[in-house]
Amino acid sequence: MQRIAKLRPSIGRLTAAAAVMGFTGLLAHDASAQQAPTRTRVTAAVTETIASVNPYADSVSLMYAIYSQTYGNIVDWNFEKGGYVSRFAESWSNPDNLTWVFKLKPGLKRHNGEPVVAADFIHSIGRAMNDPQTKQKHNVRWIKEMSAPDDLTVIFKTSEPVAPMLEHFSRIAVTSKAQWDKLGPAADKEAPFGAGPYAIKQVAVDNFFAMTKVPDHPDVKPENPDEVIFRIMKEPESRVTALLNGEIQIAQFIPPQLVPRIQNSTSAHISWEDAVELMFLAMSPEHKPWDKKEARQAVAYAIDRDALIKVLLNGQATRLDGPIGQGQFAYDPNLAPKYEYNPAKARELLKQAGYPNGVEIDFYATVGRYIADKQICEAIVPMLEAAGFKVTLKTPEWGTMWANVQKGGTPFYYMGRGSVIDPSAALSQYFETGQSPRIKFSNPQVDAALSAERREFDGTKRVALMRQAMSIITDEAPAHFMWRHKMATGVANTLEFKPDPTMDIFAVNIKIKPRRAAGAK
Amino acid sequence: MLTYLVRRLIGTVPVVLMISLFVFLLLHAAPGDPADMLVSDQASAQDIKEARERWGIDQPIHIQYWRFLVSAVTGDFGRSFKYDEPVMVLVAQRFPATLELAFFATLIAICLGVPLGILASSRPNSWFDNVSSVGGFFGVSMPNFWLAIMLILLVSGYFNLLPSGGRNTFGVPGEPITGFLILDSLVTRDWAALQDAAKYLVLPSIVLGVNMTGLLMRMTRSSMLEVLSEDYIMTARAKGLSERAVIWSHALKNARIMIITVVGLEFGALISGSIIVESVFSWPGIGQLLLAGITARDYPLITGLVLVYTCLFIVVNLVVDLLYAATDPRIRLGG
Repeated sequence: MQRIAKLRPSIGRLTAAAAVMGFTGLLAHDASAQQAPTRTRVTAAVTETIASVNPYADSVSLMYAIYSQTYGNIVDWNFEKGGYVSRFAESWSNPDNLTWVFKLKPGLKRHNGEPVVAADFIHSIGRAMNDPQTKQKHNVRWIKEMSAPDDLTVIFKTSEPVAPMLEHFSRIAVTSKAQWDKLGPAADKEAPFGAGPYAIKQVAVDNFFAMTKVPDHPDVKPENPDEVIFRIMKEPESRVTALLNGEIQIAQFIPPQLVPRIQNSTSAHISWEDAVELMFLAMSPEHKPWDKKEARQAVAYAIDRDALIKVLLNGQATRLDGPIGQGQFAYDPNLAPKYEYNPAKARELLKQAGYPNGVEIDFYATVGRYIADKQICEAIVPMLEAAGFKVTLKTPEWGTMWANVQKGGTPFYYMGRGSVIDPSAALSQYFETGQSPRIKFSNPQVDAALSAERREFDGTKRVALMRQAMSIITDEAPAHFMWRHKMATGVANTLEFKPDPTMDIFAVNIKIKPRRAAGAK
Repeated sequence: MLTYLVRRLIGTVPVVLMISLFVFLLLHAAPGDPADMLVSDQASAQDIKEARERWGIDQPIHIQYWRFLVSAVTGDFGRSFKYDEPVMVLVAQRFPATLELAFFATLIAICLGVPLGILASSRPNSWFDNVSSVGGFFGVSMPNFWLAIMLILLVSGYFNLLPSGGRNTFGVPGEPITGFLILDSLVTRDWAALQDAAKYLVLPSIVLGVNMTGLLMRMTRSSMLEVLSEDYIMTARAKGLSERAVIWSHALKNARIMIITVVGLEFGALISGSIIVESVFSWPGIGQLLLAGITARDYPLITGLVLVYTCLFIVVNLVVDLLYAATDPRIRLGG
């Protein structure tokens, strides 16, 4: 006791140190109170990356959407209208199957007052094609020639007929040629003047992207927030906590286990949306037993998708009977065959495939990339084993798995394909001979149908060709289509907001509620 | 002293070379390819081939390594595949955030761990000693990922006291001068910015510093106990010196070598070990940068960052050795 008493000055110092720390905490508390969002600023927590200020150096959905609302893309898909719209072009046409002519609206201005001209389109396609940082070359690889006969007309010639070309144009931001001529690559940082409803304010690579409303833009309304900040927050727990304590107002991709926390709160709610991401099991016919159609179909009959959706996904997914679902281009509700859960039929098919005593397979699952992916794959294993497969579940790190998938070295895996509105590119990528080795499926009828649909500019005929291809793919089952997730987005009650099915956040869709309405929720 | 410094610096060259070679080989042996990870998943085989050529990863590994070495000698660690910026520019942009975090984590650890260790050693086996020992073990064994989530849930979520992540509120701090937000706000006397930066710093610093606090507390206690049992301490007490003078002037002086060693080593470990904390708290430092590099198989970025970590460890160790000599006259450097 005496010794403690003699140490009192030291304890005093310790107390002082603690007081300093406590004071910091106090400051922080006060600051937290000050940080309550103003009614005109919305911060959205997002999960993808912001790799550069160069609008052609990213190929992630987040950045395509951000640049669409700041620079403006050549065209955009409008889910309400079910077709493409353009903030730049008053019309477009195809004089022949190799030519796209865009007629621009007169009087279009960028945020600095500079006019938007045809040369900007040619410049933008050129950058997507040749910029040293470009990651968007695949969107413009068919463009062979470009010309601008006048300031309001742009003509693109493709090397082959590409009917779904608008899908690719919808990814191209229209940047200013004049600013590029003046500043070179520095234009992206120093003069990022677009023609979208929001102007770029500040970008911190892999941290945040801030944009401000352009008040006189025809697409904005007074209730849209004056400022929107996209802040990268990869940890779901942090996103939910930040939403509930008012640091952010929108939180992307809420995993099922955290949904109740938001649903039970008084400050935020969940907005559900059927995402246009297809989840499927891929089976490469290059590897046994997937060279046998019966073995692939056995997988399709062995898996009880409805039970998985109900139990593991809390009902938050829509079963796919075929490659795509409702709302996606060329969806056919009557597409056959439909695989209902039938383990007896699965066992029978596996016998017909030449495996009466079962067969050993490796099943590759992603971990943490898709909602409940590992748990879903773990639940699939006993279902497959009940059908006679002897399954080894493998869970490599994403980089390793993706590299193997890209090289065709993964025989059987769970995977997603996002942003599928017009499924032409996705179907070609996975199921057309020679397009990519991810599945190595080859079927002349599918190849013919996919090739024909790409060349078919008549919408009705194109839909028929695509449905034909999808029917064969579903029957041949190189992939078993599982579901589309219903994605949960956390939204503060002070806002009205619903993401579109690509799960992208468009500021013009965010409305700040009047205070009384927000409080009443 | 100068001879010692030069000799130590020359001695680091083979270490850095060996580590660079090891990292380079390990990266190339690991499955996964930067082109697969970084080029769009809709890219054609030709696009992927062109990306590989552009980045030079189509070349044999010994040529890639030689090119890297030649550039590295001039301080150029290459360009990041993912960000298309020089690696050193990226490191310079992010390093202040990590250093600031590690500094405050260390400060917390020193302010708590050392006094608690001293107090515990001054009354061994007392209730205070037992409680602080349990606390020390708790700190050392606490997984910082778990602690981070718990603090976010409790402090940010339940009590709504502090932000759950990030480094500052958008628009609050003025123009950065050094990149150290606390320092910048003090220099510019921008109290709003200071307040804002401090509140974002508290939780990650606590999480990062808690292991070091526990370790420092345990090491200080054991080191002090050892010193307090020495004959010269008994002599000091017999001479009638106050207990305060015995502990602070005599015992602590001899125990501080151990404290300096732990602080030095742990400071280096904090910088390299901040990856998880930065990730959970969305802290834009080099830990997050390294994680992004690993995920993307960004070879130049990973190699550059590992070498930066290596150099940091070397510098910290060198500083620790210099501090030994400065604090203990029995130690002579360069002999």
